[in-house]
Amino acid sequence: MANLNVNSVTVIYKGNRIGIKDASFKAEEGEIVGFIGADGTGKSSLMHAISGIIKFKGEISFGKYVYHSPKEAEKVKKYIGFMPQGLGLILYDRLTVEEHLDFFANVRNIKMDKNFKTYKQKLLHMAGLSRFTEREAEHLSGGMRQKLSLICTLIHRPRLLLLDEPTTGVDPLSRLELWEILDNIRKEEGTIIIVSTAYMQEASKMDRLLLFDDNRIMASGTSKQLTDSVRNYVYKKTPCKDTDCLELHNVTYSLKPLNSEHKDPTLEDIFFINALKNRKKLTEISVSKRERRLEIPPIVMEAKGLTKKFGDFVADDKIDMELKRNEILGLFGANGAGKTTFIKMLLGLYPIDEGELTLLSQPIRSGRDRRKLKSKIGYVSQHFALYKNMSVRENLIYFASIHQIPASEALRRIERYGKELGFSDYLDAMPKDLPLGINQRFSIAAAIIHEPVVLFLDEPTSGIDVIARHQFWQLLKLLKEQWGISILITTHYMSEAEYCDRVVLLKEGKKIADDTVENFYKKHPEASNFEEIFLEYYREAN
Amino acid sequence: MNIGVIKAYILKEFKELIRTRMIFIVYAIPIIVIVLFGYGIKLDVTHSRVLIIDNDQSKLSRELIEKFKHSKYFNATELNISESKALKLIKQAKKDAVIIIPNSFEKRLIKNQKVNIGVFIDGSFPNRARTIENYIEGVIIDDLQSYAPKTSISTNVININPRSLFNQAMRDEDAIVPGLIGFVLLVAPAVLSALLIVKEKEEGTIFNFYASPISKEDFLIAKLTPPFILHSLNIFILFLIAVYLFNVPFRGSFTLYWFSSELYILISLAIGLLVSVVTRSQIVALVLTVVITVLPGFLYSGMIMPISSMSQESYIEAHMFPVMYYNHIIYDTFLIGEGLNSRKIILYLIILTIYASVLFILGRLFLKKELKK
Amino acid sequence: MIKVFLSIVTKELLDFLRSWGLVVLVLYSFTLDVYIAGGGMQIEPRNVSVGYVDYTGGGISQKILSHLHEPEFLTPKMFLSQRELSKAIFNKEIMVGIIFDQEFEKNYRNKKEATIDVLLDATAASQSFTTLSYLQNIVLNFSKLNIPIDIDIHKLFNPNSDEHSFMALSELLSVITMLSILLPAIVFVREKEEGTWDIMLLMPINPKITILAKSFSQVIIIVAGVMITVGLVLFNGFNLPMNGSFLAFLLLTFFYAFTSAGIGLFIASVSKSMMQTAQLSMLIMMPLIFLSGAWTPVYAMHPILEKLSLLSPLRYYIEGCESIFFRGTDFVDLWHYFAGVLILGSILYWYGFRKIGKLF
Repeated sequence: MANLNVNSVTVIYKGNRIGIKDASFKAEEGEIVGFIGADGTGKSSLMHAISGIIKFKGEISFGKYVYHSPKEAEKVKKYIGFMPQGLGLILYDRLTVEEHLDFFANVRNIKMDKNFKTYKQKLLHMAGLSRFTEREAEHLSGGMRQKLSLICTLIHRPRLLLLDEPTTGVDPLSRLELWEILDNIRKEEGTIIIVSTAYMQEASKMDRLLLFDDNRIMASGTSKQLTDSVRNYVYKKTPCKDTDCLELHNVTYSLKPLNSEHKDPTLEDIFFINALKNRKKLTEISVSKRERRLEIPPIVMEAKGLTKKFGDFVADDKIDMELKRNEILGLFGANGAGKTTFIKMLLGLYPIDEGELTLLSQPIRSGRDRRKLKSKIGYVSQHFALYKNMSVRENLIYFASIHQIPASEALRRIERYGKELGFSDYLDAMPKDLPLGINQRFSIAAAIIHEPVVLFLDEPTSGIDVIARHQFWQLLKLLKEQWGISILITTHYMSEAEYCDRVVLLKEGKKIADDTVENFYKKHPEASNFEEIFLEYYREAN
Repeated sequence: MNIGVIKAYILKEFKELIRTRMIFIVYAIPIIVIVLFGYGIKLDVTHSRVLIIDNDQSKLSRELIEKFKHSKYFNATELNISESKALKLIKQAKKDAVIIIPNSFEKRLIKNQKVNIGVFIDGSFPNRARTIENYIEGVIIDDLQSYAPKTSISTNVININPRSLFNQAMRDEDAIVPGLIGFVLLVAPAVLSALLIVKEKEEGTIFNFYASPISKEDFLIAKLTPPFILHSLNIFILFLIAVYLFNVPFRGSFTLYWFSSELYILISLAIGLLVSVVTRSQIVALVLTVVITVLPGFLYSGMIMPISSMSQESYIEAHMFPVMYYNHIIYDTFLIGEGLNSRKIILYLIILTIYASVLFILGRLFLKKELKK
Repeated sequence: MIKVFLSIVTKELLDFLRSWGLVVLVLYSFTLDVYIAGGGMQIEPRNVSVGYVDYTGGGISQKILSHLHEPEFLTPKMFLSQRELSKAIFNKEIMVGIIFDQEFEKNYRNKKEATIDVLLDATAASQSFTTLSYLQNIVLNFSKLNIPIDIDIHKLFNPNSDEHSFMALSELLSVITMLSILLPAIVFVREKEEGTWDIMLLMPINPKITILAKSFSQVIIIVAGVMITVGLVLFNGFNLPMNGSFLAFLLLTFFYAFTSAGIGLFIASVSKSMMQTAQLSMLIMMPLIFLSGAWTPVYAMHPILEKLSLLSPLRYYIEGCESIFFRGTDFVDLWHYFAGVLILGSILYWYGFRKIGKLF
């Protein structure tokens, strides 16, 4: 029996920064243990310690091996498979899928016999990569990269598998496939699997969950045990002004009993209640009216048959889309479905190969048509790209001055955004020192400093914790209400569809559905959440 | 040692080097350097642009001018302009030197009276100025010596009979090109190996090493073998360029050349390895490698000046870099051919071996198989 | 528009000052690197080791040897036989061997031709050349005693033949070339690498202003660095003469910086990462510097290279700077250097500008 026993493990980084403190847990053969928690709460640190690639205090034992340092861990490494955080981080861009598997097998000293070949084929099949063995990793989509990374990590049949956010940035379909692979492995091989994730829906697939907060393990148990523990605090939306209360868009949390109907708790609720219990104040987001009034046409963006090709590959195939005034439109689809390409075409970052585009009643035919409109459009890219050598304030001043906003007005506006979006305390910090959630709101501030009428957001919520995500959507909603702004957003969190007015589904470059969220539910009455609807569409289209 | 692991890594490295076209850099840079520098660096001063103002217009003065015109060291022109105009030509960098032959040059010489020849040299290129000065003096005095018996001047004549050992023709190429090999084989392999490990750190693939049971030794061997093999080919390419393009003679043993070059490549790779182990980003590794190899590789190669005539500090510094030892051996194999009969060469080979071993041990010591905190 | 231009320039300068790695590299190049090159590079012979075999028993031979003195030569070392001398040369202990044969003194006294055999280690060709000409002169001086001729040599501009200030200046010019290619390239490639490129494209500004402002900001850094080097290192450390107009030098540097910036823009337009930028810059810079006449006078080059060097803007820049510092050439006589830099500069900058402009 090879069980894992982690005993009060602590990781401390340079400058006394704590990675994880006093973490202890056990795992048995065939068990899937989930690490759940916000960014920077110690999930990765603990994984690094267990996989023996960072110094730690405390003791870890796996089967008969006991180790206290990376050096001592050397002897268990042949049983361990570790996949670090990042889309396909461990892949070599210029090697093909097949070459990867052979390389990892060789590095692990696996005999290339018949057994291996069957196993390899099986893995390839499971990952849906059988058709792509000759493709270089560079040309794989994000989801494919993650799946390839996973099967590379599995090639030596590890007894202990550590996966650090394997599903972040991966579309629901790929995610589902990943989980199928994991379930098979643990059943067939009795592997211990430790997975960290930011998708709460995945938690139900785990045997046991460890909740991380403040660089500690805050709670542990099965999904049901954990949700049951907060059942008493979760209510259907009721007004409540108490300090022991927290009101969100469709739920109310209260530490004291309320005279209201309870709601079925979810894992996400645990984080809010924990924040409430610890008296952590959630930043109140507010947005005041526009400083300058603007006439906005009823149709902000109209695309007719937009097409983009990269060589033979059609990234977007004759897509029609409309974005109305005062509307949040969600653009959903698997990795490589053409979402980012579509947004980049709208912005003029990629030339349009075919089709017609009208932005703010202005037909777009040349770069010149766009230049006038640039001051009315805001954009946040996948990586919140901001100048990392300049403080938050300096970044915002720079953007303001480029938009020719007078200095005094710009400074005032920055102060106001700082307060309203809750990053006042960070105005003089460098972007890299910001928590991810703050960084994201500050990116939005940079994108709206010139008060645009339309906002394009490309996966702004990937990797961000539950609470920050909630605040982010609150901000978008306020922007819509106060400014009448239109927002086009892409995301992999299916639960976020609830916040959108309308959702467009893309698959392999084609539009497969376009409707309001209510209508989607009406058409699929059996679905309990949007993820199921999404998967249904994807399966149908196959 | 685990042959399977090493083989897997080597195969992977080769594929990457070829697919990322790094392989082009491996061969293009050495070839460009040796061709450019080989043709580009001239130590001898030839074709200096000399202007002669002949105020005498006598038979003797014209003979002197002819001497200048026939020398390969000068591009002499005769012009009768004023001194100030001539000086202006130097100022405009159109002439390197001006020689003024006074009037009554011939008359005074015959009468054995003192004659003053004025020479103005552009001193902005100090070394060249000095050489031009010597050459001008040489031509003038040589001319007068040959003339001496005809006049009443009495002379004691001493002839210098120079015999250049090893490089009879005193060709620049013979002196420079072997030194360039020492320079190139120090810089190029170091740059390549410096990038190899830090690249994995930057891109995250280093996790594959951290999290696997591969030993550090195997990892290093696997990582360094591809650049070693690739640059071994350079040993032959550079040899061919030196011998066939630049016609540098090869008098020594090819085996010695080959062996010492392989040893030297190992040292260079180990320098890169050390840089790669201590840095975190590719760009820093590249700049650091260039800084620590290019200038010393050039200064202490013996191309520009022999180590023996360096000032005390430079002399010591030169002994700290491998290029001096290697270049001693390489000049021997090309121009001298003493080979292993020379005690010094054997000593230098031993020093190079120690050098390589120490660097590799250091690299192995600094290589960590865990995340830096 | 001016305001936008200035805020881009300010932003780039701030960005530069906060990238400490880059600041260290630039400061090092402009100070220590130039200092080391100026202090360490010496081409003139120093401490040349001389050995001799004297079969004459002294007299004239010793007189000749007494002329070989420091700093150029070490005290000559006596060897008993020619064989031992040759061996010492083989082992690089001795660089020049002088052999006075038995007939030497007799011939000299009898006014017959007296011959000295000189063995040179020509693997150090440069030293051999100079040593030989030194020897020739010493010997000529012996012969000359009786010739009524006086060669009056004036070395203009750098009378002491100060090698250090010259080498330091040459190194500075190479540094300027390197940095004024690299810095503008880095400014653009950094935007690509950090993912701010798209943001930059979406700004409501004419791309021409962006490109111009970005390259201008780097030119400012170069010019500032040049001021530091010239003031601190060259004038103070090496007593570089300033025979011409400093303004002319600054102006020429300014134009030249734009010329190289053009190459930088081109590099930035074709490379995706810092790594590619560094490699490409090296590939382009090496020929550029070696075709410039920094190391060897242009007219002494291989004819093909000499023709090619006409295309190197650095050639005009280097000759121009040497003329300004050492020769003190008048402003008007500098016109062809200015013309060379300006013409090649406009072409290169225009090309780089267009190339990167296409990405906008």
